Amino acid sequence: MFSSKAHKLLAALVLGSVVALAGCGGGGQSAADPAGNTQAAPAGKKVLNIGLKADPPSMDPMVSTSLYDRQVQNSIYDKLFDISPDGKIVPMLVNEYKVSEDGKIYTFTLKEGIKFQDGTDFNAEAVKFNFERSLGEKSKRRGELKLIEKVETPDAKTVVVTLKSAFAPFISVLTDRAGMMVSPEAAKKYGDDYLNHPVGTGPFAYVEHVKGDHITLKKNPNYWNGEVKLDEVTYKVFTNTSAAVQNLRSGMVDIIDEIPVKEIPTVQKDEKLTAITEANMGYQGIYLNNTKEPFTNQYLRQAVDRAIDREAVVKVLFDGYGSPAWSPFAPGSMAYSEAIDKAPKPDPAVIKDLLAKGGKPGGFSFKLQISTTPANEQFGAVIQNMLKQYNINVELEKVEYGTMLENGDSGNFEALQLGWSGRVDPDPNFYDFVVTDMPNNNANISVPELDEVMNQARTEQDEAKRKELYTKAMEILHENAGYSYIYHNYDKFGVSKKVTGFTYVPDGIIRVAKVDKQ
Amino acid sequence: MMFIVKRLLLTIPILILVSIMTFSLIHMIPGDPARVILGQEATPEAYQALRTELGLDKPIVEQYFSWMGKVLSGDLGMSITDHVPVIDLISQRLPATIELTIGTFVFALVIALPAGILAAVRRNTWVDYTSSFAALGGMSIPNFWLAMMVIIYFTVENNWLPSSGYVPFSEDPKANLMAMILPCLATGLRESAVLMRMLRSSLLEVINMDFVRTAKAKGLNEVKTVLGHVLRNAMIPVVTTSGLMIAGLLGGLVITESIFSIPGFGRLIVESVFKRDYVTVQGAILVSALLVVVVNLLVDLLYAVIDPRIKAGKGA
Repeated sequence: MFSSKAHKLLAALVLGSVVALAGCGGGGQSAADPAGNTQAAPAGKKVLNIGLKADPPSMDPMVSTSLYDRQVQNSIYDKLFDISPDGKIVPMLVNEYKVSEDGKIYTFTLKEGIKFQDGTDFNAEAVKFNFERSLGEKSKRRGELKLIEKVETPDAKTVVVTLKSAFAPFISVLTDRAGMMVSPEAAKKYGDDYLNHPVGTGPFAYVEHVKGDHITLKKNPNYWNGEVKLDEVTYKVFTNTSAAVQNLRSGMVDIIDEIPVKEIPTVQKDEKLTAITEANMGYQGIYLNNTKEPFTNQYLRQAVDRAIDREAVVKVLFDGYGSPAWSPFAPGSMAYSEAIDKAPKPDPAVIKDLLAKGGKPGGFSFKLQISTTPANEQFGAVIQNMLKQYNINVELEKVEYGTMLENGDSGNFEALQLGWSGRVDPDPNFYDFVVTDMPNNNANISVPELDEVMNQARTEQDEAKRKELYTKAMEILHENAGYSYIYHNYDKFGVSKKVTGFTYVPDGIIRVAKVDKQ
Repeated sequence: MMFIVKRLLLTIPILILVSIMTFSLIHMIPGDPARVILGQEATPEAYQALRTELGLDKPIVEQYFSWMGKVLSGDLGMSITDHVPVIDLISQRLPATIELTIGTFVFALVIALPAGILAAVRRNTWVDYTSSFAALGGMSIPNFWLAMMVIIYFTVENNWLPSSGYVPFSEDPKANLMAMILPCLATGLRESAVLMRMLRSSLLEVINMDFVRTAKAKGLNEVKTVLGHVLRNAMIPVVTTSGLMIAGLLGGLVITESIFSIPGFGRLIVESVFKRDYVTVQGAILVSALLVVVVNLLVDLLYAVIDPRIKAGKGA
């Protein structure tokens, strides 16, 4: 009945298990070999490990749609312009530039002697190639650059860009992916597969991308803007942010791109680490659909907008690591002023009055669409509770993210929670969201006066005058209340004290050109 | 031999069914893939262009057959977001998950076998109570919490083992094994609880059978009776559970993979769903189904080894 074969099988199973355990025990006992030593870097090399929340899918700025791409791309590519730590736009590959009086012709004089990592020259032809590539059919940058009429190169260091109409935010667009310069040689050589073989002029050159795991870059020894101190930078994917914090604490990574709010005290208490918490350019809020009941009524929109206690939202949801908002302009923005970004404290008398004017003195109900992440559900619950005390009943509708985007496009909602990751210039954070018939104007806001002011603002070259126009636009929007701005997001970086030379820049990009590791 | 052929033939309709289900599921998820891929930066032209590029403008039946045609010739398509062949993505990710599954299973067995046997043999003593209590704890503790505690204790507090930094075994075997110990331990502890409970109850059933009493009456000592007679007869439910466990682990180690930052197969599926990279999702789920079928086949074969009556078509 019991064959000896079966005995052997079972015996082998048990024995195998024991051997495996013994082997594992051995691993555990080699405690003298600290965990960090298992990392792939050979001794003597300075390697900076950065933890990212998601895997950056594309290293080609032309086709990139993921925000995580930008973290890595900024190490591989230089841009025509950059953002300084105080949020100002500064020339990068451009030496100096002029704008014609009508705001339509931009003349860029390029820095000289710069080479791509593949040894080819960076020059006016390369810039022209990049603009044309970004205007091509497969490009995701077309929208940002669509006003370009023509690009000319009178000599090797001069590029003249003519726009179809004046567009003040043009330079700011060139501080991001649309301004990243890829090597024309490499782009031609690899075609559609270029995204897996990126070449720029930046401080680090691409080595490999193991999808879903890590991206390795190595020092560009010929970098034009000062010696690069690190030998390698590795971007590792940690989809679990709490696990990323533990890896930061144990020294497996040196910088992480997000500390969950609840873990911030842990990082702050750890004397080997620094927590950097700064408001970025993004915002979150609620669309109130101007063309759907009950929000066809301006007073009811205002009632909701004025009843939200932003300070409390930020406190409850983020322990204070968020900045209350009443406009799309974060504290670092040139259009920011407290007068337009600080909402008045909710006043029951004002809200009662608005409800009465709106014909609903006894309160009303509406449906708020939120996406299904725990953070958004919590947000929905907070808003629901806040409005309840004024007899405004919020019915939460949890919708899948894709459906929510579609509902936003088609106007199939009463209220909908969706924010924006933010750009440095005020225009891309504002124009498409509030001007009549623009693609992200989900609330169908249509105020002719607002449209006029917004169009003036995008052609006005003078910064002070632009700021005045945005202030005026925001005042009009506060009246309309078609979008209720609620808070500005915070960047929450964790940085090891071994890292030196790291400075926070309000576009949320971790810049590594000047970083060193002790 | 006939037994194996029969089992293999049965897998064909299963796989066809799975392929249809996978294909329709991803098209049933609310939200157009092209819309989600482009996100808030979408323009109407880009949206239309992407739909055409992905073939989403064709009838769904046509989409299915053109996909199946390619699958049969071994081409699972190109990932929408990563622009590399799906088969490459899967073959990059699968080894880590297979290793993690084997490691988890080994840890689980090492703990469950002795604990289960002792609990059954020393029934209603402190040994039984302690191991049953521990198993209940093991099953109740959430996986992510246990994984976090393991990291805090072994890496942050004591710096004994790495909490991330997976490297393929072929590149650096030592670093690979070091990086795999904690994830295997964290999931193994939990799975061992399931196996131990199963082994204990199955042993208890067998231990009271007549042939065991006979063996004891013939003068066999307890160790020989249990290891030589009882264990083998109690193994069938344990093998079944193990098979299900392994099949589940191969696609379902997402949490462990994400906490320990292992580029595994489970994470590939989940991340692809979020990115609406439906070509990858389809390919990965199909491969996952194939793995379940293979594991089940192996389990069936193992039944036949443990209990020859099954092969002859007589036994349970």
